Amino acid sequence: MNAVSRALWNPIVAKEYRTRMRTWRSPFAITLYIVLLGGIAWAIFTALSLTATSQFGGSPTNYGQELFTFLILFQVALLAFITPALTAGSISGERERQTIDLLFVTPIRPFSIIWGKLLASLSFVALLLVISVPIFSLVFLFGGIELDQMVYSFAVTAMTALTLGFIGVAFSTLFRRTLVATVAAYGGAFVLLAGCYLYGFLFPVEADPNATTTPAPPAITLVSPVIPLLTIATNAPVPLYGVRYPNGGYGLAGSSAGGNCSTQPNGVTFCSSTGVKGGSVQQLTAVQPTGGGATISTGLFQGWQYWQASIVMQVMICLVALGFSALVLPPVHRFRLRRRPAPSPVHGS
Amino acid sequence: MIAVEQLTKTYGSRAALDHVSFEVPEREIFGFVGPNGAGKTTTLRILAALLEPSDGRAYIDGADVTKDREKVHAKIGYMPDFFGVYDQLTVGEYLDFYAACYRQPKRRRQKIVDDLLALVGMTERKHQLVDTLSRGLKQRVCLARSLVHDPAVLLLDEPASGLDPRARVEMREILKELQGMGKTIIISSHILPELTELCTMIGIIDHGRMRATGSVRDVIARLSSGRRLRITVIDERDAALEILTPLASVRHAEAVNGAIEAEYDGDERTASDILVALTGAGIRVSSFAPVDGGLEDAFMRATSEDVG
Repeated sequence: MNAVSRALWNPIVAKEYRTRMRTWRSPFAITLYIVLLGGIAWAIFTALSLTATSQFGGSPTNYGQELFTFLILFQVALLAFITPALTAGSISGERERQTIDLLFVTPIRPFSIIWGKLLASLSFVALLLVISVPIFSLVFLFGGIELDQMVYSFAVTAMTALTLGFIGVAFSTLFRRTLVATVAAYGGAFVLLAGCYLYGFLFPVEADPNATTTPAPPAITLVSPVIPLLTIATNAPVPLYGVRYPNGGYGLAGSSAGGNCSTQPNGVTFCSSTGVKGGSVQQLTAVQPTGGGATISTGLFQGWQYWQASIVMQVMICLVALGFSALVLPPVHRFRLRRRPAPSPVHGS
Repeated sequence: MIAVEQLTKTYGSRAALDHVSFEVPEREIFGFVGPNGAGKTTTLRILAALLEPSDGRAYIDGADVTKDREKVHAKIGYMPDFFGVYDQLTVGEYLDFYAACYRQPKRRRQKIVDDLLALVGMTERKHQLVDTLSRGLKQRVCLARSLVHDPAVLLLDEPASGLDPRARVEMREILKELQGMGKTIIISSHILPELTELCTMIGIIDHGRMRATGSVRDVIARLSSGRRLRITVIDERDAALEILTPLASVRHAEAVNGAIEAEYDGDERTASDILVALTGAGIRVSSFAPVDGGLEDAFMRATSEDVG
């Protein structure tokens, strides 16, 4: 067994699989997950059907897109609850159970311990994602969502779960008590999902009045999967998000981001401008679908798709969390920040 | 096999270990004795490369515990004083997991597990969930776990704590068998009479300082043998006490269970002088013998005064 395969498949992974799947909690969690996801799918579809019937405005294309949008966001929210619970006790639980020293005296390296714990936890998350595919396939009955959109959405969702897992393990390594680590991991999940999303509302980018294109929201908002998932589902940037326009207006004169915007399933954005020209309804610059989401117009990730930028930023968070965990976990560190002088001998022993 | 040189560990201004030194030759069983908080666990954790010393050096079969941790881990089997086990794993799976952690080949692991279970007398428990075992049986499983990679050195921190007398005897027999297999063992314990029977060497530690170290016989002789006398006299106990108490060499004398016990400073010649003083005063002495306090007495003396 070479070093790579040893790192990927170490005894901790096998042990975690074995112990995890022998308890009643795992089948219960899987069942609950499917019931909740299926339940929300049924509820959304029912609500959409009722709305369409009453207003005569619904179309099967919209059904599919809106159902998909709700489902994928709900799935991310569910995983934000599940993943910290799976990972926050991984290392602190070993400490509380007083089994960590027994691992430290084996040749298994701290990195492999962390990786083993992560792999076991995230495999369970992957299992949840896989078993949710049949529910998501309902979307294809109505159309409006292409296969690549589904793939990109699952990639962002999986990456988010991975990031939450890395954050959970990092807190589990940092804190000795599982309760504290769990609270911190949920705090991290909230910051990642909701905090970064809300950042766009609280600290939007100032739009240049002379610009002809809408600026992209702040890059940090892409850490949250919410905006990337919405752009994948609609094939367009999210209107009015993360950008502040001059004179308190909602958009730039003649730009694609003015007024009350709505994006159609074909990717064309319609806006009712309330800016300088105010009042008139016009079709503004259309953001053409590019397959799997819209392109970021300005900033660090200019030219990238939202989901690509989100994945890259989350990968960076994962690397930082992994490095932090590997640094903090070992009982004895290879380097010292400062060396304390030993007390002088009192007597010979 | 094991060398500890001026080992020091400080936590803030408090010294948990204060220049502790001792050596354990190959195939010896070294009993590490001391009251709670004396520094036994700290020393064992440093030897297991789980804790960085503030100063000093320690070597396991030539490997520096601060620099060659992987070599040290390959040479030692460590059993902590408090340890947990995993839920949902059988005894066999538990040992197999650690054998895998020690990179034992899969085809050999089953035999290793079976052999170790036979060694600790738990073959019939192989398929029982390890979490459901009694404390004594968990101790045995943990001992078996520390042997999965056939280490030359065993560091056992209070392996008999919490065990009933029968389990302690069985643990002692297992450790003797391990000594017969050529293992070098450091064992910390509070159960002193058993250490006397089991150990070939002993170290007494208190407040982070090594008070005495050497062979069990030497340490007991140095700290207790010949320093206390039990004297039985006929009808004249009070008179005998009046003679003993003023003697310069006698620290303390008192009546104990119909006899007199006298603590004194000096050697066998001093003891004979005390006898001469009694008989010279007309006291009829029916018995006069040094009291061998054993390890317990040595321990009490070592931990109640500065021995140096």
